[in-house]
Amino acid sequence: MSTGDETHTAVAERGTRKRRVGLKNGGKSKNKKQKTRPPSSDRFKLTQKKQKLFQKRARDYNSDEEDDESKKAPEVTIREKIFSDANMGPNYDEVEEEEDGSDKDENSDGEDHGEIQSGITRFAADDGCNAFKMAFKSIMKSKGDDALGPVLSAQKNLIAQKLSEEEAEKKAKGQARKAKYLVAEKGHVKPANHLESHEKVLIGVATKGVVKLFNAVNKAQHAQKGLNASRSKDAKVLKKRRKEAFFSELGKTPRSDSKAQKSSNSNEEEAPAWAPLRDNYMLANPKLKDWDKKQVTNEGDDFAAMSGDESYED
Amino acid sequence: MGRFKNNKKGRVNVKPIAKNNQANVDHVTGDKIPKSFVFSRTKLPGSVKQLQMDLRKLMLPYTALSLKEKKRNTLRDFLNVSGPMGVTHFLMLKKTASALSLRVARTPQGPTLTFKIHQYSLASDIAQSQTRPRCPPDLFKNPPLIVLSGFGTQELHLKLATIMFQNIFPAIDINTVKLSTCQRLVLLNYNKDTKLIDFRHYSIRLQPVGVSRKLRNFVQTHKAPDLRNLQDVSDFITKAGYGSESEGDEEAATVTLSSDLGRVNKGSTKSAVKLQEIGPRMTMQLVRVEEGLCSGGIIFSEDGNVDGKNKQDGDEEDAASEEESEEGEEGSEEDMDEDAED
Repeated sequence: MSTGDETHTAVAERGTRKRRVGLKNGGKSKNKKQKTRPPSSDRFKLTQKKQKLFQKRARDYNSDEEDDESKKAPEVTIREKIFSDANMGPNYDEVEEEEDGSDKDENSDGEDHGEIQSGITRFAADDGCNAFKMAFKSIMKSKGDDALGPVLSAQKNLIAQKLSEEEAEKKAKGQARKAKYLVAEKGHVKPANHLESHEKVLIGVATKGVVKLFNAVNKAQHAQKGLNASRSKDAKVLKKRRKEAFFSELGKTPRSDSKAQKSSNSNEEEAPAWAPLRDNYMLANPKLKDWDKKQVTNEGDDFAAMSGDESYED
Repeated sequence: MGRFKNNKKGRVNVKPIAKNNQANVDHVTGDKIPKSFVFSRTKLPGSVKQLQMDLRKLMLPYTALSLKEKKRNTLRDFLNVSGPMGVTHFLMLKKTASALSLRVARTPQGPTLTFKIHQYSLASDIAQSQTRPRCPPDLFKNPPLIVLSGFGTQELHLKLATIMFQNIFPAIDINTVKLSTCQRLVLLNYNKDTKLIDFRHYSIRLQPVGVSRKLRNFVQTHKAPDLRNLQDVSDFITKAGYGSESEGDEEAATVTLSSDLGRVNKGSTKSAVKLQEIGPRMTMQLVRVEEGLCSGGIIFSEDGNVDGKNKQDGDEEDAASEEESEEGEEGSEEDMDEDAED
């Protein structure tokens, strides 16, 4: 009864607060608290903090003293306050009235704490999880324009930093690669226009060389055609002529345009070691030349001797 | 004895064209046919690899087209393989940050010429720049001819270069050579002022001269001509078309063939020689001549400081190397001399 009187007075003095008219639910709330306490212990882990809290509540509930400030847990967070706000039930005021009366002298912290405590006490009720969820949702909705949210602003900065780093790296790599490519391709020239003037000069030089060669070949082979199967004398003369002709052809050119084409026929010593490989096998030797023609008798012996000699020639 | 496992350490993975029996000795001249390896010991960037491939094709048929080298192969490995296979020349490409260099060396202990390549163009670049690139199928069946110009016979290192290049390609015998086998040409032009050597590779084409273009095209390509505007077929044959602008050049380039060369170029009629560039194009400078195979005394160096000191040695060594090259290719020295006389 005394408490009831005091609450009344408290109500009367506090004009700013919301007030529910004519609620004398001290007993009810008390009952509620007492009723719901046992099941709460099942739901929540009874952490040290919670335990302290409960004890304090019990004390507060019984006594009117105001030395609870010191013992009040300092870990009051805004979140809890907000939760308690969100979770205001019809019994809020009433509970508050009771406690406020005792804590009136304390500063607002105390009041808040008291509110929060009551909020949490309610919290400890059966739909605590749901309450949490709703509260969190409401926060996120109001402040969550960013996907990351204010909570993750540090990470956002970090990500931005990383992105810029990566870009810088890529640029550096690209430049390095370009430089490497340039070094690799150094000297590689793609001819822009085919047949520039210098090229024409070169082609002219090459053409002259080829023409000379072909003419020489032509002469040699033509002459050879005419005289080849004929008598040995001609064969010798032919060979000499060939050699001269070839070199005269080449010699006609001025010094600056010398053409060096190997001709193995220019030098008899070059002929292969094995006699039959030589072009002039059996042609050079006058006696052997006409082997298919009718043999004069005394040549038969010579023939053997000759062939023997020839194979040793070098 | 049991079979030993193939010890791959230090083995050269050389895959030459071993299948076709290539003649080691030319059956006509009796000279040893020079064969070559084109490779590089360092890793090459993309376009230089293509250049290496182009050079290999250039040296066909007497080269290993699909030569595969590994990083761990040293020069010694190549030397060991080259002996039994009759390879006489090495062409080595090397790319460093500053320069691209080509070394031409004569095995087994012949001189080494080092060229610095200032510029190069790939065969594909050249084909792209032409309107009608030409590559007949058997273009690479025969070795190319070589034309050296501007080298002169005075300077020793140039002389050596001439000999070396002459010996890389097999000799031809003018009496028996068939002109149809001469389809490619390599030109090396030395410019005294800039000391640069231009390297070009052409394909040779013969065209009958004195025939109007229409007729020529018709005969060569068998495409039915457009006779819309003509009254009579004889007009097509006898009509004097405008001469092409290159006919003036053709005058200088006419050859009288000794024999028939395909359907079009009959023997004993005039034909024009036309060159079209294929293959890589290089501008190089001779920077060094070494006595051994990438080793040994320096006979000539572009830097100039070793030149005077080694001149005496250089003469002796040059003579020695000339003798060497004579073993394989006889008469090259005499050839040069005779040219000089004339």
